[in-house]
Amino acid sequence: MNIVEINALSKEYKVKKKRIRALDNLSLTIQKGEIFGFLGPNGAGKSTTIKILTDQIRATSGSATIFGIQSNKAEARRQIGYLPENPAFYDFMTAREYLSFTGKCFNMPESSLAERTNQVLATLDLLDAANRPLKGFSKGMTQRLGLAQALLHDPDLFIFDEPMSGLDPVGRAMVKKIIKDLKNKGKTVFFSTHITSDVEVVCDRVGILVKGRLVAIDSVEHIMATGIEGYIIQIRGQDNKTEEIKVSNSELNGVIARLLADNVKIERVNPVAHNLEDFFLDTIQAQVPTNESQ
Amino acid sequence: MQHFKLIFSATFVAIKRDRLLHALAGASLLLFLLVPVISMFSMRQVQELAITLFLSSLSFTLLIFSILLGVFSIWKDIEKRYIISVLSMPIKRRDYLLGKFSAIALFLMFTVCLMGIIGYGTITFAAHQYQSEIPVSWPNIFTAMLMSGAKYILLAAVALLFSVISTSIFLPITGTIGIFLAGSATQGLYEYINSGSGAQDISLTGQYVIKALYYLLPNFSAFDYQVYAAYTLALPLDTIFYTVCYWLIYTSFLLFCASIIFEKKEFR
Ligand SMILES: Nc1ncnc2c1ncn2[C@@H]1O[C@H](COP(=O)(O)OP(=O)(O)OP(=O)(O)O)[C@@H](O)[C@H]1O
Ligand SMILES: [Mg+2]
Repeated sequence: MNIVEINALSKEYKVKKKRIRALDNLSLTIQKGEIFGFLGPNGAGKSTTIKILTDQIRATSGSATIFGIQSNKAEARRQIGYLPENPAFYDFMTAREYLSFTGKCFNMPESSLAERTNQVLATLDLLDAANRPLKGFSKGMTQRLGLAQALLHDPDLFIFDEPMSGLDPVGRAMVKKIIKDLKNKGKTVFFSTHITSDVEVVCDRVGILVKGRLVAIDSVEHIMATGIEGYIIQIRGQDNKTEEIKVSNSELNGVIARLLADNVKIERVNPVAHNLEDFFLDTIQAQVPTNESQ
Repeated sequence: MQHFKLIFSATFVAIKRDRLLHALAGASLLLFLLVPVISMFSMRQVQELAITLFLSSLSFTLLIFSILLGVFSIWKDIEKRYIISVLSMPIKRRDYLLGKFSAIALFLMFTVCLMGIIGYGTITFAAHQYQSEIPVSWPNIFTAMLMSGAKYILLAAVALLFSVISTSIFLPITGTIGIFLAGSATQGLYEYINSGSGAQDISLTGQYVIKALYYLLPNFSAFDYQVYAAYTLALPLDTIFYTVCYWLIYTSFLLFCASIIFEKKEFR
């Protein structure tokens, strides 16, 4: 079953009688167990998509389902752990009180709630601040609480809108680990970001959104493989000095065969790869002329 | 029902921890303590004046609370984006709205009860200062208090409707105060144009406007039972019954409209 299914979704915002097309005919499916990175420059429509999935705003046309349930139904959100962009939580509560409120909203039994609350607070390194009112929380702490409340009820689908935003390096590493752990548990994660290196590390698949349109969608593995421009072969020469030889894709096999025939010791073969960032920038670049010609 | 209860109790906690409301509650408490003191200035009608002053103070306190809570409690959630975190849980918007409203309504009634206890003390004290010919009628005073509570719950529903319609704070505040003033005046004006001199003084279009407003706007003066309390008049039970029905229907109607609009709202 498709966990998330987005069908021809479009969204226009009306601002002072002008229409802004934020999403243009977006179709996308996300399978069970997948970590999907939703990449796009600022203003691409990532948050717009996520807000429609969580029923904060309504699509101008098209529809979306989550676990087969229309996304505008409250039941659809039962199995979602959601982290909003720049989250804000009732600031008159403490972190622990807010998590208790969240857990009860998801019908978690009282017996497991307290234990689970401590677990997620520990995971996000918030135990020390657990009984402090949220009024005094810093941006990064609020972001951590946002992740904690998303993890709390252990849903099957996670939707994170820029989960790394506002976090220090330790926090970022923590989020990456959390996402990897979720993958190992067979959970599905859909998250938006503009940080390509994060996608490279944690995602199975990536979609690139530019000006409301999905312009590329592929597995990270495939993108990384097609991005290989050549190889660097590191050998140990006669005088025991290491040398590097640059070869193109097509030369690789021939060069290696020759080196082996000459009895040269090959120490390492490294692909010279385009990284995801280059792919991302190239993809966006490619969109510019078509958009301007409209 | 679970979600309704959660929003209800979260709102109640929010009200309980609101600094501004603490200050206002303190100020109104002071007002109530002044009631017996001021009543002394009236040489003969100490008891009658104390009852009237007490009910007016209650009315004023409830007015401030109902406008503040009705206007701000949802508006603040939207403005500070708390609502996004709350409504992205499997909570129906209708449950959210009704939970908020019920918490406000209960808080207003809670205020009525608390002030009732204080009122019991101050009125008893004032009544002992100068023996009145009229006995104090507690059922009448409590009826007046409860009707006052109902009146401001209705006003809170007006405020809630405005806060759901508008994205700015200006309209909800001015709109609610405007409706309150107009809704308090319509009955008087209606009776005036139906009297002999009123029918002559006011133009025909003016009379139609007044009639239309009388039927459309909530009739807040229908909830005033101060005179019955102060002078221990016999309570018109059938009128009270109709007023309560009117209150139920009008409040439900406002909440129904609010929930339809709220359902369509986008939180960007
Ligand atoms: N409330 C709004 N009113 C009007 N236009 C909006 C609104 N929210 C978003 N937009 C417009 O819709 C487009 C998409 O915005 P969106 O927030 O979805 O982008 P995004 O991909 O999440 O960007 P970012 O990476 O900066 O978060 C932008 O052009 C933006 O200006
Ligand atoms: Mg965004």
